[in-house]
Formats: sequence, C-alpha cells, structure tokens
Amino acid sequence: MKLIAGVDIGNSTTEVCIGGVEENGAFRFLSSASRMTTGTKGTLPNVLGIKAALLEAMDKIRQPLSALDLVRLNEAAPVIGDTAMETITETIITESSMIGHNPSTPAGAGEAVGELISLDNIWKGKPGVPYIVAVSNRFSYEEAAARLNQHMPDLDVRGLILQSDEAVLVENRLSRKIPIVDEVRHISKVPEGKQAAIEVALPGTSIRMLSNPYGIATLLKLNADETKAVTPIAKSLVGKRSAVVIRTPHGNIRENVLPAGEITFRGDRDLTVNIDAGADGIMDTLKSAGEIRDIDGQPDTNVGNMLTRIKTSMADVAKAHDSEIRITDILAVDTLAPVEISGALAGETCMEKAVGIAAMVRTQHLPMQKIAEKLEQELKVKAVVAGVEAVMASLGALTTPGTRLPLAILDMGGGSTDAAVLEADGQVCTTHQAGAGELVSMLIQTELGLHSRVTAEQIKKYPMGKVESLFHMRLENGSMEFFQESIDPRYYGHVVLLAPGEMLKVEEDIPMERILEVRRDAKRKVFVRNALRALETVAPDHDLRKIPNVVLVGGSAEDFEIPEMLMEALSEYRIVCGRGNIRGTEGPRNAVATGLLMSYLA
Amino acid sequence: MVVNKPTIIIYTNEPDEDFTREVCAGIEEEGVLYQVLPHEGDLDTLAYEAAKESMLGSGVGIYGSRLAMQMQHLPKGKNVFELDGPRFWQCRNLGANSARAIKKMPFKPVYGQGENPKAYT
Repeated sequence: MKLIAGVDIGNSTTEVCIGGVEENGAFRFLSSASRMTTGTKGTLPNVLGIKAALLEAMDKIRQPLSALDLVRLNEAAPVIGDTAMETITETIITESSMIGHNPSTPAGAGEAVGELISLDNIWKGKPGVPYIVAVSNRFSYEEAAARLNQHMPDLDVRGLILQSDEAVLVENRLSRKIPIVDEVRHISKVPEGKQAAIEVALPGTSIRMLSNPYGIATLLKLNADETKAVTPIAKSLVGKRSAVVIRTPHGNIRENVLPAGEITFRGDRDLTVNIDAGADGIMDTLKSAGEIRDIDGQPDTNVGNMLTRIKTSMADVAKAHDSEIRITDILAVDTLAPVEISGALAGETCMEKAVGIAAMVRTQHLPMQKIAEKLEQELKVKAVVAGVEAVMASLGALTTPGTRLPLAILDMGGGSTDAAVLEADGQVCTTHQAGAGELVSMLIQTELGLHSRVTAEQIKKYPMGKVESLFHMRLENGSMEFFQESIDPRYYGHVVLLAPGEMLKVEEDIPMERILEVRRDAKRKVFVRNALRALETVAPDHDLRKIPNVVLVGGSAEDFEIPEMLMEALSEYRIVCGRGNIRGTEGPRNAVATGLLMSYLA
Repeated sequence: MVVNKPTIIIYTNEPDEDFTREVCAGIEEEGVLYQVLPHEGDLDTLAYEAAKESMLGSGVGIYGSRLAMQMQHLPKGKNVFELDGPRFWQCRNLGANSARAIKKMPFKPVYGQGENPKAYT
C-alpha cells in the first residue's frame, strides 16, 4: 500500500491528512492532524510545523515518517493577512483635573463643591468657606475620622477624597454624613486651593451631575466656553459610580482629533476616502473602486503609517521588495478603544473612536517550491507542490454529506476569508478577502481593554459562565451548572471561560453581559460582512441567489456561534449554508488536505 | 426569643486584637454586619462553626495570630483562605473577602506581596 500525505499551510494552522492507495487502486483515508503554523505562511520555518503534524498523523496509524511515499503541498495563494488598529480621537487633559472611577465601596451620596484642602493643613481652614478634604493613606480611618470630627463644628466640610479603600469606615465614624470618594491612587497630585466638585451616585445608579457638561457648569460656575472645554471630561465620566472634577483656572483639556488621513484605492478607478468617513464609508468606496491593484495611505498620518507598517513587515517575511508587495483588499471595522487619558489622577481611561483594519497583502509568489525541497531533504520523501488552494478546498468540501455541484465554499481562517464557487463543469472562481479570526480577536482585545491577546482568543473560542457560589455557576445562556466538589475560591465571583477540561479566569473585572455583547458584535462585524462580500464576488453574475449551497470550512467555521450567524444572514437569499463535515468525520477542518489527496487520484 | 441578625460570625480563641480589628474593618468597609464571639476549639473548628452559625453563610476564625475564612457547606479544614502571622492589609482583605463571598463579588488578593500595602503597617 502506498501512503500519501496532503499538507495545507494556513495563516494560523497547518493541517495534514494521510491516505493509502492499495495495489488495485482502491483508496482509503487513514488519519489526519493539525498543528500551529510555524512562521509566516509560505516561508521556510513552516517545515517545522509540517513535520510535527505529519509525525502526529503517522503516529496515529503506527507508522514511521519514512513509510510515506509522497507529500503533496497546496499551492498557497500568495496572500497574507495582517491587522492593525488606530485611534482617531484622543482626549488630553494637560493639567490633572479629574478623577472618575468605580471604587467598589464609596460612601454617602450626592454632590458637593468646595475648595480643596489636605487633612494635614485642615487647621489652616477658614470658617464659612466650603471645603473638600483630601486624605492621604498616612492617616488610618480612625485618625482621619477623629481629626475631621474635631474640625467639623467650625469648618464647612462638604466632601472627602480618600487615598485608601476606607470610605465606609470613615463615614461610619463621622458626626455628619457627606459624600466620600475613595481609592484615589495619586492623591498627592490633587492641587490644594482649587475648586472641586465631587459626586457619589446612589447605590445601583451612576453619577448624573458630573457626567453632564451642564452639571459640571452648574457646580463649578463655568461660562459657555469653559463648559465646552469640559465636555470630554463629562464624556469620560459617563457610567461611573463616583467622580471628582477639579477646576484648574487655565486647565487645558481638549479632545484632540488626530489627522486621520486618507486611504487611496488604486483599482479600475482611483478613489480616495477619509478615515473619518467610518468603516461603512471606507467599504463603500472600496466597492466602487472595482478590482484593486494596490491600496495606499496618506504619508505621515495614522492610516498611512499603518498600511506602510503592514507592507514592510510582509516584505521582510516574504523577502521581496516593497514594490512587489501590494495590498489588494482591506476590511475596515468601527470600534471603540479604551485609552488611558494623559493627565488623569486614578488611571482613568476614555473610550476613543478607532478603526480596526485587516489588510490582505499579495506578494508575487510564495516560495512553496523551496518548502517542498526542504521537506524532501529532511524527510527523504518525495514532496511536490500540487493544486491551487481554493480548488482543493472545494474538492475537500464536496466530501461533506448532502452537497452537490455547483458548490460554494467559504473558507474562514485566521488571516483571511476565502470564497470559491466550483461549477458543475469544473470551472472555479475564487476570491481572497482580508479579515477573519485574528481581526475578531483584535477587536475583542481592544474593546474590552484586555491586557493579553491570548485572553481575547480564548473569549472568542469558548463559551463562558460566572461563578456565583463555590458550588454553582451561571452560564451565558442563563442556565445553571452545579458541582459536587467546591470550585477553587480564586474563581469566585469571576467570569470564567469553559475550555474543554478546564476553566480559564478572565482577570479583568468586566460584566459577562458586556463580554458577550462585544464578542458577538465583533464576530458579526467581521464574518457576516465578509461572507456576503466574498460570496457576492464569486457568485455567477454577482448574484447571491444563484448560489445553491455554501459549505463553511476552515478554523473559524468550528466556532460555536459563527456558523449560526452566517446561516441566519444567508437564509435571506435562500442559500443552504452550514458547517462543513469533511469526509463525514472531520468537521470543517482538513478540507484542503483532503482535496490534495483526492486530486492525486483524479 | 432569640433573634438572628444577618451577620458574618467571627469566632475567636485568645485572638490577636489588632488582627481582629483589621478583619472587622475589612467587613465594615464592604458594608456587611458582623459579630465577634469567643468560642472553643482549634482554627479549623472556629472557622467552620462560624460559617455554619452565620445566617449569611460566611465566617471567620481567629486563633491567636492565625486566621481562617470559611463558607457554609465547605468541609471542615478546607478553609477558603488561611493566614498565619499576617500583615495588617492581609487581615483587612480577608475580612473584606468574607463579605464579598456574600455579595458574590470577586475576592481581593490575600496572599503575596500585596497590591495595596498600607503606609501604617
């Protein structure tokens, strides 16, 4: 029996499939495996990952690597996906002038206005002047309360700002109830002698006065121009449980609109669009530009730098000249990114408008032949480059039970979304589009302000639940799950991701509902939009209704909710659409590798 | 008639008074009520019985300079947090956590170098 391997190198995973051909020509699939792609797709470091995957697949049928007779590699499309994110607005507060945060336990409720004074200097206070007192953590709650109680009868103390997390403790010991904001880390930066307004929301609500420009104007007696200047402060305080706004006479707070720049599409028609137009505007312009040869950004603007960065990083890996690297497609997505405000007192962030862009880079060709040679050298097994990726994927997809020609596939991977239509006469029409799983991860990471991309990847991949007691958790769909053994207390009260066999804790304190919303939104923005775009390109006469069935393949088709979203979106066009099941056993993975084996027989 | 108040119960056996005060401060800051009562037994017993007796299902045991936080229905000896000769901020956070257990909020750090060591410790 001859053993043949099909190898598919993707942006993020390398998949292999092993088949055996009997003497009489009968063919059987024997095993398959997948591994992380090592290095950028289409470069020599890939060999490492291919060998690992081959080894795993051969191990499953208890054969050494040397038993292989032939390795068939896919002629990978010379397109590589990359993503970047750029904010287009920025809030700068040059003189520290606001604290707006969510301490878990502020005390009191309501708003107060007064002159700032530190507890050290409270003896200097004059009767009749309203004060807001700032207390550093050198004072314990007992000392702070005692000192304040001593001065309260003479001085008009309206509110407190504490450095330590002791608002309730101090409040319980004060003779008069006043609003108290605590957990202000950089209390030493609070300027004495300035007017300040503080607000603590009622339990269960968020602040109302300081998140409203006119509210700030009322409390701090601002004129119309000054009110305009505090709008970004109000904006960044929306939804907070407590806040402090300090009036600095020449406080220079402004919302900086960065020169966002323009994108130029060079295609059938040369068109230019400003980033300010937002994702929809950009995508519309892209569409009207027709077939794209290259995309450029205005030099020395954010978007210009971003596109140049993508090109140079691709030029490095593909060892080609910049001029040979062309961006042939982009997917722009509107998003909000939490950005730390320069000049804030407690590390506050502000949601800034941003555009996420995935770009599809086309090089002249990928050195697949070199990979085949290297593989042949190392394995002592004949290796050939055979078959175009999209054709192979269609062939593989056709092994899904219940499909027939003409057939469309939607290959949703990590870096790109590819579509192909395989006609009954063997004609194939293909397209590669920017934006897939990695863009989704990037959107999740920025919108939730996560520290690590790995967490974002996990949020994308796994359903979640919230650990509500040591014995049960509430899953994202509302159902409850109970446990015999108590859950590790480190998970208590946290949102956890339900990976197979383990629970992963989300370190950031973000409500489950918010994570859910961001996750679904990111997937919809990228995949639904891209699927429609890709299918429209390959469909006969660009009419979606002329495609009878669509098979979803690739890593992102394994996702637990993306196929359902697409099914919903495509059902409008009466298209049968579903997750592929390659050879009736493999699920949506392994289509290309399977196709490579089938094309050997044909 | 015995009226049970919804409190966290702290059972103590010859406790370190400073530690006790810090635990109470931690609970108070979270806005939950508590009772400090002397009790017989070792550390595990104190914490276990306290959690069992507490209407809220959360208890703390303090035995000399050792502390343990326990929750109802957990087996005796399987304390959620345990400290031996801790620093003040650790006691404060252990107290806060006994309250957060009831409020179903994520726990504050109790072990390690500490994220918010207080200046007066």
